[in-house]
Amino acid sequence: MELTEITHKEIRRPEWVISLLPMVVVVWGFVGIYLLQLTIDSFSRRASERVVQELAYFPSGLALRESSIEYDELFADFIWLTAIDYYGRHLETDRRYEWLGHIFEILTTLDPRFIGAYRFGAMTLAWDAKKPMEALTLLSFGMKANPLSWQLPFDAGFINYMLLGDYKSAAELFQIAAKLPDAWRIVTRWVPYLYAKSGDFETAKQMWSDLYYSTQNRRLRELILRQLRWLKFEEGVRKIKEAIDRFADKERRLPVSIEELVQRGYLETVPEEPYGGRYYLKGGEVHTTTPPSKRGG
Amino acid sequence: MLQRIYGMALNTFREAIRDRILIALIVIAIVVMGTAKLVQPVAMGEAEKIIKDLGLSAITLFCVLIAILIGGRIVYREVEKRTIYLILARPVRRGEFILGKYIGLIVVLILSLMVMTVGFYAVLLITRVPITFNLLWAVVMTAFELILLTAVAVLFSTFVTPVGSAVFTFMIYFIGHSTHLLKHLAVMTPLPLIKFISLFLYFILPNLNNFNIRGDVVYGVPLNPQAMVFSALYSLLYTFTLLLIAVIVFDRKDF
Repeated sequence: MELTEITHKEIRRPEWVISLLPMVVVVWGFVGIYLLQLTIDSFSRRASERVVQELAYFPSGLALRESSIEYDELFADFIWLTAIDYYGRHLETDRRYEWLGHIFEILTTLDPRFIGAYRFGAMTLAWDAKKPMEALTLLSFGMKANPLSWQLPFDAGFINYMLLGDYKSAAELFQIAAKLPDAWRIVTRWVPYLYAKSGDFETAKQMWSDLYYSTQNRRLRELILRQLRWLKFEEGVRKIKEAIDRFADKERRLPVSIEELVQRGYLETVPEEPYGGRYYLKGGEVHTTTPPSKRGG
Repeated sequence: MLQRIYGMALNTFREAIRDRILIALIVIAIVVMGTAKLVQPVAMGEAEKIIKDLGLSAITLFCVLIAILIGGRIVYREVEKRTIYLILARPVRRGEFILGKYIGLIVVLILSLMVMTVGFYAVLLITRVPITFNLLWAVVMTAFELILLTAVAVLFSTFVTPVGSAVFTFMIYFIGHSTHLLKHLAVMTPLPLIKFISLFLYFILPNLNNFNIRGDVVYGVPLNPQAMVFSALYSLLYTFTLLLIAVIVFDRKDF
């Protein structure tokens, strides 16, 4: 009697364990999978970087368009997200944008009506990748596919004005933009500036802030803010330089510090340095305490 | 005759609606549309476009899958389960059988399409995208694409296995969206024979790009009502022809 009871218990325990065992294994299996993935990810931290570079191997967006059946726009959306990711990562690391133009070419071939993509592509190509001509090519493709969109000639004019100093082309492009439906009134406001042909800070500032309000794209707005800050920085440098020149003319020596310029009345106040540092003088030249890596733009 | 077709259709409808694949595909479609919510913060001002693209594409893609997966085995299953003997022993003509099956399936598809569309608008509400009803035109055109594609699936279903039918129908779907390449080829080639063959294929293969106006509605481009009416007619005529072939094939079949 006793014996059978003991064996019964002993038999029942393994059964209970055996039925639970697979579940435990499954749980541990998932833990193992998780750990493995973590390890794999640490090997290839730049995995998504490679995805983008693989995209660059496509001969053109045409190949992709033919294989996307009827989901061209959806593919384009996916590439849009990839492009933003690519841009964002390079902005925070090496600030090299080798594939940016190619990505936007694929993207706009897949979805030629994606105005936001042309705009973002052109601005980042022109200012971040420093390839204004590529930006203008992208915009001209966009203008062919979307002859009624005023934003594209507007941006092309802006690049011509700001980066290339081609005021004639800029004026022509702005006039095209101004005639298109739904064009902003600011476009017409810009035209007279162009005939003045001056690159003064006030005009540039005004144009950048107009552009700021023409987009909802956060990355693009960041780019614009960087440009505005850079303009403010340059403006400060120029003000101080002019004061130094006047000082040197009258006093026949170089000023020791910016404060001296203020005390002697050559400068109203010490200009605020937009990157959080301060300006200082060294051998008659204007410098800043902010290292170049933090200035950007 | 109509009553017998109605009976067949109702039966097919009941059977399909109980299919787990159908429910799974509808649920997945709505979940996929919902993922657009995740895209919103990283889309840099383009979220509205992406949500609409994703929603409309998901509706089309999942309805196409339903048409291919359920349509492809609709006749074969009756043969395999030998229920076809019971049906054909009754005074039901084979043509009526095919037509009933097809109509039942179309009703299922239209219903799925409607459920997904409601899901899509729910996603638009949740993501606070301004709701416009011109998007519905894209869904209507998808319905016509499905009407045609289901006929293709039913036709294949009469003489190949469900897997074969699904593969062939998918191929037709893929080719149907690439026929414009044949037209380009006809223009580019200097050889008259190639020109003839490619044009022949261009016109004989179903041109499914006719039904894709999603880009237009998402960008709010004015639609061309004439083109839409003709595309709808194209779909109906093509379907009629395919179903006729299906009836012929099925009529000659020995069980």
